Amino acid sequence: MSGDSPGHDDGSLDEAEFVRRIAAQDEAAFRSVIETHAPLMHRIAYRMMGDAHEAEDITQEAMLRLWDHAPRLIEKGRAGGLKLTPWLKRVTVNLAIDRLRVSKRVTDEEHAPEQVDADPLADAAIEAHEEGAAARALIAALPERQRAAIVLTYYEELPNAEAADALDMNIKAFESLLFRARAALRKAFEAAQAQEQGGAA
Amino acid sequence: MSDPDTNSAPIAPDSPLGHALSGHDVPALSPDFADRVMARTQGRPDPLPPLRRGGGGKRRWSTARRLTVGALAAGALASAAAATGLLNDLPIDLPSPEQIWDRITGEDSEPVPQPQSEPQESVAPEEPEEVAVEGPIDSPEELEEAFNRIDERRGERREQRRSRVDQRLDEALQQRREQGLPAPTPEQEARLRERLEQGRDRRDALIEDRRATSREDLRERIESGEELTPREVLREDRAGALRPETRERLEEFRELSPQERRERIRQFRERRQERGGQRFRRLIEERPEPPAEVAGDEDSASVEQPDDTVAPDQPE
Repeated sequence: MSGDSPGHDDGSLDEAEFVRRIAAQDEAAFRSVIETHAPLMHRIAYRMMGDAHEAEDITQEAMLRLWDHAPRLIEKGRAGGLKLTPWLKRVTVNLAIDRLRVSKRVTDEEHAPEQVDADPLADAAIEAHEEGAAARALIAALPERQRAAIVLTYYEELPNAEAADALDMNIKAFESLLFRARAALRKAFEAAQAQEQGGAA
Repeated sequence: MSDPDTNSAPIAPDSPLGHALSGHDVPALSPDFADRVMARTQGRPDPLPPLRRGGGGKRRWSTARRLTVGALAAGALASAAAATGLLNDLPIDLPSPEQIWDRITGEDSEPVPQPQSEPQESVAPEEPEEVAVEGPIDSPEELEEAFNRIDERRGERREQRRSRVDQRLDEALQQRREQGLPAPTPEQEARLRERLEQGRDRRDALIEDRRATSREDLRERIESGEELTPREVLREDRAGALRPETRERLEEFRELSPQERRERIRQFRERRQERGGQRFRRLIEERPEPPAEVAGDEDSASVEQPDDTVAPDQPE
C-alpha cells in the first residue's frame, strides 16, 4: 500500500483517501486495497469457516461491499467515524457469522439430530488424523461469535478493544464472550485428549 | 479438570492447546483473486439510497395518535388539577425570602402578614374534599390519587422507551444495510414493525391485568384500615406488574448484601448488553411470520424487555 500512497503520513488519512478514491470508482486504488487487505480478511474468513472456497467468497463479497458503499463511508469519514481496516474486519466477520448461521440452519433442517451431543467436538477431533483438521475441528465446534473471538484475538492477535469493535460489542461483553470461548475450547480439547487416550488404551 | 480461572486465561502458544491450534494453516488466496474482484465491479447496480427514517405509515399514524392522546390527557389533567386547587396541595414547601434571610442570619424576624385575597364565593354549593397524597395513605381517595399520578408518569416513560426502541431498530437496520448484511425488504420491515407493535400491546395488556389484581389488594388493605406510605404503594404497584417468578427473584435480590447486589447488577448489565444486540439481530434476521401465527409468541416483545420491566436481579 505504501507504494501507492496518496501522500499522507498518517495511516488513517491514507485509508480515508483510498476510500475517497474508491468512491470515485478509481480501480487502481481499489486494487491496491484488495492486495493490502484481502489476505487478512481471507485468513479471518478461512479460520471461521474452515473452507477455502467459502473464505474467498466472503473476502470477495466484503471487498465488493466496499466498492458499493464507499460513497456512504465517506460521509462517515467526514464525521470522524471511519477507519477502513476495522470496517473491513467487521464486514468480514459479519458475513462469516451470517453464512455460518445459514449453513447451520440448513444442516439442522436436513440432518436434525435426535439428541443434542453434549460434546460434539470430541469425536470430530479424535477422528481427525491431521493436526490441521483437528485444529479446524476445535474451532468449528465453537458457536459463531466465540469462534470469531478466538480467531481475532488468538490467530490475528488483535487487542480486545479492536476485536470487540469488529464484533460490534462493548469491551466488557466481548471479554465475557472471550472467556467463555477459551473455556469451551479448553474443555473440548481436554475431552478430545481423554477420548484419544481412552481409544489408544 | 481445570478450574474456571485457568480455563478462561489466554491460550499460550507453547501449551498443548496452542500446539493443537497452530496446525490451522491458511491456504493462499487464488493468484487471480484481485482480477476476479475487479471483474465483478463492472456493471454493478447503484447502492440503495439511505433508509428513510420514520418507518411505515401505520407506525407514523400510531405514534401521532399516541402523542395527541398524551398531550390532550396531560392538558386535561393539568386543567383539572388547577381548577380543583390540587396544585396548591402538593407537598412542596417553598421558603419565603424572609425565612431564607432568617436562616442565613440566625435571627427570628417578625412574621410578615401575607396579603390575603378576598374570599371568593364558591360557585359549587358543595366543594368535593381535596385529595393530598402526603404522609401515610389511609383513604381510598388518596390511594386512587396515588394511582393516577403513578399512571401519568408511567405513560410518559412508556412513550420514551418506545421511541428509544424504535430509534435503535432504525439504527440497527441502517447499520446492517451499510455493512452489507442481509436486511429486510420494505414489506418485511413493515411486518416486523407490526409484530413489534402487537407484542407491545399484548405485553402492556398483560402488565395492566397483573397490576389491576395487585391494586385490588392494596384497595382491600386500605379498606381494612391499614395505612400505607406513598413509597410502599409505588413499590407494590411496580412489583404487581411483574410475573410471580420475577417478583420472587426481585425479593431475593433485595435480601442480598450491597456487594452481592453490585455484582449481580454488573452481571445483569453485561448479559443485557450482549442479549440486547442479539435480540435485535435475531429480530431483524428472522423471516417475519404472518401476525396471526406469532400472536402467542412473547419473544416478539422481548426486544423492549431490558428497559421496560424490572429485571429479576435489577434494583428498582
